[in-house]
Amino acid sequence: MSNSTYLSNPVVTINSVDMTDQCSSAVFTRMIESLESTSFGQTNRSYVGGLENSTLTVTMYNSFSASETYATLKNLVGTQVTVKIKPTSAATSATNPESTLTAAYLESLPIVNGQLGALDVIDITFTGGAYSVAVA
Amino acid sequence: MGYTIASPRLGIVGDVYDPVDGINVEALIEGGFIKSTIKSTKSDKPNKDTNEEN
Repeated sequence: MSNSTYLSNPVVTINSVDMTDQCSSAVFTRMIESLESTSFGQTNRSYVGGLENSTLTVTMYNSFSASETYATLKNLVGTQVTVKIKPTSAATSATNPESTLTAAYLESLPIVNGQLGALDVIDITFTGGAYSVAVA
Repeated sequence: MGYTIASPRLGIVGDVYDPVDGINVEALIEGGFIKSTIKSTKSDKPNKDTNEEN
């Protein structure tokens, strides 16, 4: 039995804008905060789920040209925004699910990350919001 | 208020854009991704200053 793999090539949408061709890394993590519920008499710690606090962290090439990275992000800092990601550019389906964070918060935006002889690359993180997934 | 797409990153340029809940429309306008189809009723001409001192 062979294992199933796929070449990483996600589609990233920020505030409806397709930023896929400016991204070199994207990590979407669902996270539900753990609340400890251990009580006397137990011999191990136990936890229950608390609030969801998922994140989407994206590494992007910075660009100040029209319709590029800066133009997309400059007005989103300190606001809630809808972000989407799916594994590949194929149609959304059960095997290519599109994950969405609605009203995720963008806390910070690096304006310039300059290094000698290197492209300007920035990391941004969208935090929180309501998680949903589409399979069609 | 209606909008049209102004950048291929959003869709086909010229198509109507119908924002869904959770989309920051002001950021899309500021970034040049969409344009409002409502034309401003204000004149582009500057107001004449009628209180000029001669």
